[in-house]
Amino acid sequence: MRKRINFLWITAFLLCLALAVLSAGCGNKEAATTGDSKEQGDVFKVGVLTSLSGAEVYGGNITKRGYDTWADTVNQKGGIKVGDKQYKVQMFYADDQSDPASGADAVERMITKDKVDFILGPYTSGVTLAAAPICEKYKVPMITGSAESPMIWQQKFKYTFGTIPAVNLTASYPVNTLVSDIPGGAKTMAILAVNDAFSKAVAESFKATAEKLGVKVVKYDIVPAGTDFTPLLGAIKGLNPDVVAVGGHEKEHMEVIKSAKSLGFLPKAFLMHYGVTNPDFVKNLGKDAEAVYGASTWTSDLDIADALFESSKKFVETYKTKWGDEPDYTATGCTVAGEVFGAALEKLGAKPPLSESDREAMVTVLEDIKVDTLYGATSFAKEGDNYHNNTGLEGLTIQIQGGAVKIVGPKDKKLAEPIYPAPAWDKR
Amino acid sequence: MELLIQTIINGLLIGGIYITISAGFTLCFGVLHVIDFAVGEWVMLGAFITFIISTSTHIDPFLLLPLIFVMFFIAGYLLQPTLQRVITKNKSNALLMALAFTFGISVLFKGAALTIWGFNERNLVTILSGKSISLLGINIPSLRLGTFVFAIIITIVFLWFLQKTRFGLAVRAAAERQDVAGLMGIDSNMINKVVYAIYTGLTACSGALIGAIFSINTEMGVRYTIFAFFVVVAGGLGSIEGAIVAGILLGLLNSFISVYIGGQYVFLVLFLFLYLILLAKPKGLLGKGW
Repeated sequence: MRKRINFLWITAFLLCLALAVLSAGCGNKEAATTGDSKEQGDVFKVGVLTSLSGAEVYGGNITKRGYDTWADTVNQKGGIKVGDKQYKVQMFYADDQSDPASGADAVERMITKDKVDFILGPYTSGVTLAAAPICEKYKVPMITGSAESPMIWQQKFKYTFGTIPAVNLTASYPVNTLVSDIPGGAKTMAILAVNDAFSKAVAESFKATAEKLGVKVVKYDIVPAGTDFTPLLGAIKGLNPDVVAVGGHEKEHMEVIKSAKSLGFLPKAFLMHYGVTNPDFVKNLGKDAEAVYGASTWTSDLDIADALFESSKKFVETYKTKWGDEPDYTATGCTVAGEVFGAALEKLGAKPPLSESDREAMVTVLEDIKVDTLYGATSFAKEGDNYHNNTGLEGLTIQIQGGAVKIVGPKDKKLAEPIYPAPAWDKR
Repeated sequence: MELLIQTIINGLLIGGIYITISAGFTLCFGVLHVIDFAVGEWVMLGAFITFIISTSTHIDPFLLLPLIFVMFFIAGYLLQPTLQRVITKNKSNALLMALAFTFGISVLFKGAALTIWGFNERNLVTILSGKSISLLGINIPSLRLGTFVFAIIITIVFLWFLQKTRFGLAVRAAAERQDVAGLMGIDSNMINKVVYAIYTGLTACSGALIGAIFSINTEMGVRYTIFAFFVVVAGGLGSIEGAIVAGILLGLLNSFISVYIGGQYVFLVLFLFLYLILLAKPKGLLGKGW
């Protein structure tokens, strides 16, 4: 009998623990941290759909930090100005679990139950592609501050916008730098990528640009997530390409670098698109991260004027005090997504809650909007293959130098000289 | 020729990783008849705890392995009675109950880890990290070699323990017929606790090594749960010898497909292979499993 009671206690304890963890970790909407809770009509309800668990939990939280930085700053300054009154924003979070289907469910719940006025979109392109049709169905505008797959814009969703130019617009920059700008530049390239919407698009863009510039692509392999890179890199080592280009996220990039080093393999350059700009990449790899190339649209070195934060330098400071790390271009893209909504609402002059016709009008406003933000001039294409994507920005070639992200191309924008070939593993 | 040898070596070393994850898992199934869904989460917790101790004390993760084993041995020993409650006697469908229970444990661990340690990626650095042994144009990654050696040592110790010790004999008896073993005076509750503790201890150690080879985050577990299932099903549920053979075979297969066919087909071919094994040899490669 005693044993049975003990067992019941333990089970009850575990259940409570599980509930506590679940509500803290995967909470759906409780965590409305910003803005005083006011009665409906006094605040703009902002839905944030991103990866707060699952494989992309790291990037998901980077986007959340970007969105929160915007919301907190706006609320500190009194809110979004509509007419002669200011309205604060209240954030509602939904976790897509890094899975497109769950993302679609979550966004539908957020729209129908929380009745959000607009949505700040997911971290991954895969989830964005799944959530966008739901936004179409309920006519709720969404801006993603992160997703970069060109597939999203080719589908021409009316209610979906994006602040980061698609990879096919940015991935060509580092390839150009490596091949054309550097004397005796790269002649051969091996391309590896993980099979997801974003990473695959990166690989395709690398390949297309390389082939256009006359670079020989000696290997092109799109592998499922969770693949062990060591045998693949062993094979690539035998082909001895000048550049090993990788499409993936920070985790895969770390594993590729670690695998290559453990095989004693060092190409003249590693090229990785997104992920190398994450603070964790350098923090974890230390000197092994040196001289890795990447593509970006923004770095914290830039100094650009901004309406909300005064300047991008001030934004970097605010972000750093808040989160302890420097913002990368995704976190910044997310903050800018919020700023763009703010600018659109001011222009639209609609009070919360937004009606269906308000939201429809907002799409028209967004299509015509031109805002100078800390990201540079932000505007969305109205037609073509980049429909509703921010095409106002130019790409940048970046390289990790001395543990920091430096702009090394294109020629007219570089703030540091590119290092090529990369110094040997033991000479750093 | 160099590529061929390099591919074989890479394959063997991947096999070593597979074996470390699945050795404890298969023993756990063999004796407790529990398919532990949380195997990947034990890997994750092992990696995290090693990372935390290693970064705060600056002791090399390899030297920490015994400590990690003891810590997780105790954790498993304390947790097992709860699991035992779910799977014994008066419950019908013990296997299903165990699956549901361990699935719950895995969700709990994952959520707790995310809440406590956050979402950042971690990199566990050991004395062997990034080093390799060069031999006639072939590179053997030292860390993976270390893991392979660890896999070989634990399996030898395991087999010795099961075949040559009195306790091992009792474990084998309990694995065969728990009620009859009980009648012979074997305390099967005790055996179950110790076996589960060995399993959690070993799996946590493999987590430390995996964390050093790949990377550490709270979501890493699923990948290794799949690997463990894979190897153990191919080798025959409950058979340690089978897990070794299956681990090495699958490692080689993984490496060869990556190099000679293409990385995109790795999992496709591996699952096809598993399907064929189940079709032709449902008791595993050596025919010794359940």
